[in-house]
Amino acid sequence: MSSPVIRIATEEWRSLARNRAGLIATLLLLALIIASAVVSFERRAGIEAERARYQASVDKGFDNQPARHPHRMVHYGQFVFRPLSPLAFVDVGVDSFTGNTIFLEGHRQNSANFSEARQSSLLLRFGQLTLAFVLQALAPLLLIFLSFTSVARERERGTLRLLLAQGVSGQQLLAGKLLGHGVIALAIGAPAFLLLAWLAASAFAPWSAVGLLIIGYAAWLLLWATMAVLISALVTRSRDALVALVGIWMVSVILLPRALPEVAATRAVLPSKIETEIALHRDLKQIGDAHNPDDPYFASFKARTLARYGVSRVEDMPVQYAGLVGMEGERLTTGLYAKSAKDMEAREAEQNGFVRAFGTLSPIIAVRQLSMALTGTGLAAHQDFLNQSEAFRYRFVQALNWMQAEKIPSVGGGEDPRVSADNWKTIPRFRYRPFAPPSALIWPNLLVLGGWLAGLMLLSVPIARRLGKAAR
Amino acid sequence: MIMTNDPGTYLPIEVRQLRHSYGDREVLRGLNLAIAPGEIYALLGGNGAGKSTTLSALLGFIAPTSGSVSVAGIDPATDPQQARAQLAYVPESVALYDHLTARENLDYFLALAKAPRSPDGVIKPALDAVGLAHHAWNQRVGGFSKGMRQKVAIALALARHVPVLLLDEPTSGLDPRATMEFNRLIETARDRQVTILMVTHDLLSAVDVADRIGFLADGQIEEELAASNKSARFDLNTLHARYIGASAAA
Repeated sequence: MSSPVIRIATEEWRSLARNRAGLIATLLLLALIIASAVVSFERRAGIEAERARYQASVDKGFDNQPARHPHRMVHYGQFVFRPLSPLAFVDVGVDSFTGNTIFLEGHRQNSANFSEARQSSLLLRFGQLTLAFVLQALAPLLLIFLSFTSVARERERGTLRLLLAQGVSGQQLLAGKLLGHGVIALAIGAPAFLLLAWLAASAFAPWSAVGLLIIGYAAWLLLWATMAVLISALVTRSRDALVALVGIWMVSVILLPRALPEVAATRAVLPSKIETEIALHRDLKQIGDAHNPDDPYFASFKARTLARYGVSRVEDMPVQYAGLVGMEGERLTTGLYAKSAKDMEAREAEQNGFVRAFGTLSPIIAVRQLSMALTGTGLAAHQDFLNQSEAFRYRFVQALNWMQAEKIPSVGGGEDPRVSADNWKTIPRFRYRPFAPPSALIWPNLLVLGGWLAGLMLLSVPIARRLGKAAR
Repeated sequence: MIMTNDPGTYLPIEVRQLRHSYGDREVLRGLNLAIAPGEIYALLGGNGAGKSTTLSALLGFIAPTSGSVSVAGIDPATDPQQARAQLAYVPESVALYDHLTARENLDYFLALAKAPRSPDGVIKPALDAVGLAHHAWNQRVGGFSKGMRQKVAIALALARHVPVLLLDEPTSGLDPRATMEFNRLIETARDRQVTILMVTHDLLSAVDVADRIGFLADGQIEEELAASNKSARFDLNTLHARYIGASAAA
């Protein structure tokens, strides 16, 4: 890199240091970054402590249930809470709309799967004062404010002609401006990057996620600094650059991320909660009725069960038949719920795919998807939690059904239909496996950001050439 | 490349049959200009005569439609960086960085020109030479008058030690005293064998310092007059009549 490039870049830094308004705005944003990080971190810690307290409380409540029939425990159910990922303080993602708590019971799938919030495209919208919001929305605005005059003002006040007359080429001038404002962009993100690196170094968060998050946000900030400098070099007046850049910011950062989910929702319509429940009820009725002795499916099930145990009457079975019927019923209904959930998931994936496809047009989509994936607060992480909790619910209910079948072998013989309270402790507990974002949620988004940056760099070549000739 | 009669050397400024058009409007129509080392050439002409276009061609900001331009033997259209390394340029309205001091402006521009810029060996002597008051050296130039800005620009030209100096309406807006001071600065530069092309409306300054005066009209040098010697300079009345005539033709 030739020295005029570095000299021009350092002059940009000195200019910023002597620009009181720019300096105050920069310091305010840096303070906002630090404040939002600290507040979000504390909020996450608070939620996490509360979650642990509630989980311990409901576990204790379950364990302390008195001796009772296992099927009553199936309906007593269990609450499960999703632990927040260490980096959830950076980006709340879709958590505000989905929540982290699910009540699990027999015959019913977790309620969050069919919550009203999930029927809405609001699922894809979010907005809180978090580190992600500051970096995604406010930092670009500051970069516009700091960079829109970078080249246009040289032309306006006549220093461009004088600079070129010293033998500086258009390429050197533009490279110096890009370097100067690129470093300013990274400096603006530095407090957040340093905090993330410190968390990774303290083994609070994994280096892989932190590293990719820093790379993604650094690319995002560099992209805005580059765009601001290039537009400043393209136009003849600073105010034209400002109008163009603020317009781009409003459309790409504010409008598109909110409009796209609405369009996506009309392309892949999600059924309402009541529609889903009616459809499920209809399907459940078609499976059969375990209480109806003439029901063909359960008549067949009974015959197969008796044959398996080599007896002719359910009373002669070593296990309670009703418990086995409960297990079979749970297996069938869970299959239906799983199919319904898969359909819903597929439609949501279609909506998200549509929005993601526009990431190439508006890199904000790419940086948001990347941020949510790496902080474990996106739709994929939520879906993973639902899948884990549903798998657990099935194991939990079937364990109780089996307890009924095994420990209450016959009914109507005067035996106590309850099992002792000691048994509740043997029922499995929910163990959340932390979400590992798949590559498909990371690399395509990084590629979009890198592609935009590379595209702007390519665009800088003809702009620099034009700049060298534009001083007549 | 354009050579003088002396083999192996080049005239500092030489323009041959230069034509340039802005769209359909041809501004320069076969301009010829040759300026010798250490000579001050004043180019006079009315508005739109092509004076600034001539400077732009010498600076390499525009490419001639036809003809050739040479700065110390280098064609600015094909190698603008090399050509600009041979010249210093003082625009009509000296644009400096208002948030920098006079010293800092000099340091910055010298760094970009890759010229030596030691504070005591280069910058201080240059500011001394142009007579900028010492207390102003470390003041931000945002509050400088046009004359003070001109001095900083001339100091930059002197500090760069280049063979060619291009001045665009240098005395426009200066009071008589500042104009006189500026003219003395120009002569200081000439004494250092700097070749100076001064594009101006200011007939008095041209008469005061120029060795030759060219009247630009209709995209060409209509008439050129030379001072016969240092003591017998131009006849102002004659020049005034010719300038008015050239301006009318432009």
